[in-house]
Amino acid sequence: MTALEISGLAKEYVDSYSGDRVTAIGEVTFTVEEGEFVSILGPSGCGKTTVLNIIAGFVEQTAGTVKVGGRVVDGPGPDRGVVFQNHALFPWKTVLGNAAFGLRMKGIPAARRREIALEHLELVGLAGFENRYPHELSGGMRQRLGVARVLANEPAVMLMDEPFASIDAQTRRKLQEDLTRVFELRRPTVFFVTHDIDEAVFLSDRVVVLSRRPSRVREIVTVDLPRPRDWQGTTALPEFREIANHITALLSEGGDREGPELTAA
Amino acid sequence: MVAPTDGALDRAATRTPRRRLAVWLRRVTRTGAVRTLGPFVPIVVLWWLAAELEVFPAAFFVGPDAVLTEFLDLMRKGVLPGYLSDSLTRLAYGIGFGLLIGLPMGFLVAMSAWARRLTWPLLLFFQAIADIAWLPIVIVWFGFSLTAVTFVIVYTIVFPLVLAVVSGVEQVPQELVRAARSLGAGRFRVFVEVIVPGALPAVAGGIRTGLGYGWRALIAAEIIVGTSGVGFMMFDARRVGDVSEVFLGMIVLGVLWYAMDALVLAPFERATVERWGMVRQVEAGR
Amino acid sequence: MSVTLGRTAGPGPRGRTAPAGRGPRGRLASAFWFLLPFALLLVVWAVVVAATGTPMRIFPQVTDVGSAIADMWASGDLLRHLGASLRRVGVGALLAVATALPFGIALGASPKLAAFFTPLLRFSVSLAGIAWIPIATLWLGYSDQAVIFIVWNAMFFALTYNALLGVQQIPIELIRAARSMGTGRLRMFWEVLLPGALPSVVTGLRIGLGYGWRGLVAAEIIASSAGLGYALFLAQKSFDTDVVIASMAIIGVLWLLMDRLVLSPLERRTVERWGMKSVVS
Repeated sequence: MTALEISGLAKEYVDSYSGDRVTAIGEVTFTVEEGEFVSILGPSGCGKTTVLNIIAGFVEQTAGTVKVGGRVVDGPGPDRGVVFQNHALFPWKTVLGNAAFGLRMKGIPAARRREIALEHLELVGLAGFENRYPHELSGGMRQRLGVARVLANEPAVMLMDEPFASIDAQTRRKLQEDLTRVFELRRPTVFFVTHDIDEAVFLSDRVVVLSRRPSRVREIVTVDLPRPRDWQGTTALPEFREIANHITALLSEGGDREGPELTAA
Repeated sequence: MVAPTDGALDRAATRTPRRRLAVWLRRVTRTGAVRTLGPFVPIVVLWWLAAELEVFPAAFFVGPDAVLTEFLDLMRKGVLPGYLSDSLTRLAYGIGFGLLIGLPMGFLVAMSAWARRLTWPLLLFFQAIADIAWLPIVIVWFGFSLTAVTFVIVYTIVFPLVLAVVSGVEQVPQELVRAARSLGAGRFRVFVEVIVPGALPAVAGGIRTGLGYGWRALIAAEIIVGTSGVGFMMFDARRVGDVSEVFLGMIVLGVLWYAMDALVLAPFERATVERWGMVRQVEAGR
Repeated sequence: MSVTLGRTAGPGPRGRTAPAGRGPRGRLASAFWFLLPFALLLVVWAVVVAATGTPMRIFPQVTDVGSAIADMWASGDLLRHLGASLRRVGVGALLAVATALPFGIALGASPKLAAFFTPLLRFSVSLAGIAWIPIATLWLGYSDQAVIFIVWNAMFFALTYNALLGVQQIPIELIRAARSMGTGRLRMFWEVLLPGALPSVVTGLRIGLGYGWRGLVAAEIIASSAGLGYALFLAQKSFDTDVVIASMAIIGVLWLLMDRLVLSPLERRTVERWGMKSVVS
């Protein structure tokens, strides 16, 4: 079953400084099946985060459609849960309060909410921290909470916007492994934005590679490395290196225009 | 006599009068009252000395003893409590209406882009018209009355409050709003669950600032409109040259506001900000 | 920009609608948007007064206020009052800065002195300005000096307290570094403490001026014979509402100009330029 269908997505906007029309996304088309982990990669400024923002319903596209579970997307909603790079946790709510937020919006009664939230906190490794506040947690823990919060809501698609980009390398490895473990256990549908090739290959079933701006899909690379995956084992496989090199090559060729890099990614 | 237990035996050894005094002193100095008032003791002593030595002419400067006498006298006559309750009642009315008008207005302006566009410059301008400058026109409208004073206080509180609410709402990170929406919150719930809590520290700060101005406006209004209240008391005393009453008035005012600020407003502001682990704001200069 | 609850047209994470550009066109646009509400207000005012036939005694018409201002200008009164008020603020502020800065910084640098004076300072800040009017008129009579004293008073305590806090939040490493390079007391003051405390000081200046300005108006109403506050007071006595409103408007514009064109940019520039955070708001 197709969980997410993107066709002919395009995004243009007017640069506030210079007044020029800028094409953030040229034409992007791909699908994500249910239970799949798909990453999107591309050179900086290619619009991958914009793609995510459009799917999430935060930004309106100039052309093209986004369909989730067959229905066209119109604005944000719980069917597309987002894990933000800056975690976006509610500082005035406890860890438990954050995790249970979406459930509360759904109107699930308190006792059941607590149960589900605690279950998910345990899943991501935050058991015992229910009554802490986000500012008491480390960066890695905050991201875990971000994931728990979304998963507890059982979205059709889980959108992840470079969630590990601002985490230190060691913690990142651990988080990637934990994410894979959670994914293999629960099999949500995941759409993951990143600029880290190794990360994309390690985590995903397929990788969408974007070209430079105006971005198009250069290629959708299938990653059929065996699951369950772990960092040491999987990255040692020759196939891993092959796929990673292939993607690297894709990213460096083509798009020789050295345009100014705008901050919107 | 009760037979001493093991612990008591140890303590018995320390029960010399000197030790007891030291322990008691230590315990007393730890209490909040002493900690707040203690630092003022040397200052009061200096003040008393300055008055005794007539560093300034007696017509212009009196010592703490004179002020204390005046205080007791006015308390006994019921004059001071009367004035105090008048002033505080006006302030309470002013705060009440100020919050009632300012909070909804603030959120309304903050949430609607065009309301903000239309009113923001006006808000800035009206805040710039020192609240006290409204007294004359308000006197023309309402006469020398309680309504006039209350109007000025409400005015004084509303504007900083509205500005604080708007800036508080503005600094709620957009990602939090997005996070809430992607977790299924509709617009109303986003407002209640994200905007209001998010803006709360700024709002607390705004209330504090507004009250600081409101308090001063009250005094000025009482002096000018002059029928009762602590401000009036000071001005009237000045008229007859009663320095100790003027000093008394100032101290009463200072203590009242200091108490309100330190015991209610600052902790409230700190609690909202700190509890949420956001950037701390040190209070001062209000 | 207000919070956007729905989707946005812009691209980036903040997705602002209609962003104001920085070029000359942008600045013209923001000036227009700033003045538009005032224009609307004037229109509404004129219409309401005309429609309800409110007597000038209660609320003057826009044109009445306009002519009042013109008269004040013509008779030289406007300049006289403006001059008196501004002079008092200027002198008071200058005195405040000259006395509060050295005092506040000295306090900040000495923990013992700070401990002794801080409670008194905090207490005084809560009294600053207006509460001193009766005593000021007792000591200095109904005079120019009394008004200047009030302005000075209003600013002094806020400025001192902020300077104190400003020095206290200078990272200790900076002071240690300076000391280990053999910085003497005077240089320490000018080159380390003053710049380090500057953001707080500027904020204190802004807060203090806010109190000082209000104190000025109140003091002028009560205690003097020239100045904008006095003009207000006089007009009220003779029920010249047009002069009252005119004076209020002038006071508003003056403070707005002072705050928006001088103080806020000053505050922002010192804080931003040096990448420091202001201690108080």
